[in-house]
Amino acid sequence: MEHLDEMTCLLYLEGQFDAQRARACSDHVDACPSCRTLLRTLERESLLFARALREEEETVPARLLALPGRGVRPLAWAWAASLALAATGSYALYAGYVQPAQEKLAQAGFGAGSLFDLLLFEVAFWKGWQPMLTLLETLAFLAVCGVALALLSRLLRRWAPFAAVLVLCLAFGGLPVPTSAAEVRHAQFEVVPTDQTIKNDLIFFGQSLRINGAVDGDVIAFGNSVDVNGRVTGDLISFAQSVHVTGEIDGNIRSFSNNLTLSGRVGKNVIAFLEKWSLEPEGKIGGSLTIFAETLSLDGKIGRDLLAFAGFTNLDGSIGGGMDLRGGTLAIGPTAKIDGKALFECQSAKYKPDVSPEAKLASPLEVRIAEPHKEHAAAGAIVWKCIWTAAVFLFGVVLFFLWPKFAGDAVRSADRYGASFGLGGLVLCGLPIAAVIACVTVVGLALGLTALLTWLLVLLFAAQLIVGAWLGEKLIGRAIGTPALVGRMALGLIIIRVLAAVPFLGFWVRLAVVLWGMGALSLAAYRRFASGTPAQQAPLPA
Amino acid sequence: MDAPEAVRMSAPPTIELAAIIAQAKAGDAEAWGGLYREFAAGIFRFCRRALPTREDAEDATMEIFVKIRERLGQYDSSRPFSSWLYKVAANHCWDLLRRRRTRQDKESDDIESLPLEHPDPSQLQQLIERRTGQEVRRALDTLGARARMALVLRYYSDMSYDEIADALGVRRAFVGVVLLRARHDLRKALAQSGAFAARGA
Repeated sequence: MEHLDEMTCLLYLEGQFDAQRARACSDHVDACPSCRTLLRTLERESLLFARALREEEETVPARLLALPGRGVRPLAWAWAASLALAATGSYALYAGYVQPAQEKLAQAGFGAGSLFDLLLFEVAFWKGWQPMLTLLETLAFLAVCGVALALLSRLLRRWAPFAAVLVLCLAFGGLPVPTSAAEVRHAQFEVVPTDQTIKNDLIFFGQSLRINGAVDGDVIAFGNSVDVNGRVTGDLISFAQSVHVTGEIDGNIRSFSNNLTLSGRVGKNVIAFLEKWSLEPEGKIGGSLTIFAETLSLDGKIGRDLLAFAGFTNLDGSIGGGMDLRGGTLAIGPTAKIDGKALFECQSAKYKPDVSPEAKLASPLEVRIAEPHKEHAAAGAIVWKCIWTAAVFLFGVVLFFLWPKFAGDAVRSADRYGASFGLGGLVLCGLPIAAVIACVTVVGLALGLTALLTWLLVLLFAAQLIVGAWLGEKLIGRAIGTPALVGRMALGLIIIRVLAAVPFLGFWVRLAVVLWGMGALSLAAYRRFASGTPAQQAPLPA
Repeated sequence: MDAPEAVRMSAPPTIELAAIIAQAKAGDAEAWGGLYREFAAGIFRFCRRALPTREDAEDATMEIFVKIRERLGQYDSSRPFSSWLYKVAANHCWDLLRRRRTRQDKESDDIESLPLEHPDPSQLQQLIERRTGQEVRRALDTLGARARMALVLRYYSDMSYDEIADALGVRRAFVGVVLLRARHDLRKALAQSGAFAARGA
């Protein structure tokens, strides 16, 4: 006699067969002792499972029993007030800092800068500029990407990764796209001969690049030395040890270098971040010069404004617009000429500028001396800190509502102090290096820049948000849902920012928060994207 | 042998409960509080069985009631309220577990095939007789998400095959396969824990 298989026995036992099939099974079981025993055993197994699951019921936590009388939507007014405060703070930031910064940028010829420019250059010059511009631009960018991601994820529920890729493509599609694919050259020494014209953008990776001929497009160079003796019709963007321009550049120069010497002609503007800048007497800049340098030598001609942060400045050339110079020593020689307003700001009276009486200045040089620690002493600084805290809070709200699960995982990961601090230190030091290495390859350029930007955002904002939320949870209990987590984040954020304002202690608080928060975020990200194991499965402290 | 009492109610709501639900639907906070008090403990215990940790169960209970409050308007009062409530809870817990599934779970995704065998009843009997409820619960904690959820829905919440199919997102015809595979996994876990205990002794 053929026995019933286990599946048939189970379905029969659980009453899943129609009458006819059930009767057939019943007849078989009556006649077959083995199947009868199996059936009884399965039944006893079911009872064992049911009893095991239902016995020893756990006590219900008190907070679950206490909740309903309070209602599920508490303090709506507090939410409205917080968001109104954050919105006001953001407006104040915009009106007080962003708009003036934008006007200055516009004066310097960067008014119509693309988002790519902002991400690349504003982030790089973070310490020099008031950082508001990047914050708000980035917030807007992230918000748009997040909303798009949420909408697409909802439409394509099971295609979330596809949606993410699509959104990234759309986001990058919003960035300026070059009209044609660039010509990429990897070589130790690359020379564009005098009789050659490259009718395309040129991207160079290597030791040395010398352009004796012409490039009908932009030049982006990563190398040790870059020499432009010929002509570039677009922009020169360089990341190099030394840059020499004796030829002509019709567009802009944007340079991150050790030293740059310009004895040729630049049609538009120059923005540079370097140690030593030299504008030779025969050098000409059609637009403005915006520069961050240790030593600044200006013997040539600048068509429009000069905006500079420099340790030592020697001016013997001419400036067609105004001068706004901040830094240490300033010497204005007899051949110098400034057609607009001239302002010099220094940290101490000992840096009194040396102005030659023969110099031709449209208006007397205005000298401002910044009082030490004025920023901390002024009442305005407290208002500024409040506004800044509100802006960070707003950023946190956007972040937590865009990625509530990830934010929750990151906050739980912060419970693992050792792992968070260790990983935080590793990421803090290692990620920028990895990102720069990634930037060396064309494919990795976007990835490297994105990683750097994310690193910077985490460093400046996200780390304190995560640690703030963790601290809030420790103080008023674990959060249920995103609004509660945001509330705890607000509380913790205020505490962190107050502690960070304490002299001496503040530095260590900031460092600890950055390490801890960065580690927790990295841990959560690693678990989510690499292993798929959530942070909540990690053992939690009692 | 008496079957343990099923945890969830399958009867239609009483007149009193129906009135409370109607008031809660209309936005009466007191009525909502009454509903919460009536069912919160049961939902927490269900979540505790379905999810790995007590903290998870607490969080999930709160989240489930937030969902319930938002969706109360969708409840069809001709059906048992607790059945609907547990369906929402089951969907929520399964959603949570599915999001954190490990690779091991993914490997056992193929639920449509299971070798049809007639196991030796005496071996199975031995395994069952020697196991306590505590050992079964411990073994349950080691199972994959789908197996654990299937056993909890069937033997804790006493859900029908249709309801389990709906909660787990599988075809009704495969609920039996899912359950039998879960039982096999649990037996394996029990056998391993038994062997481990024997070695320890």
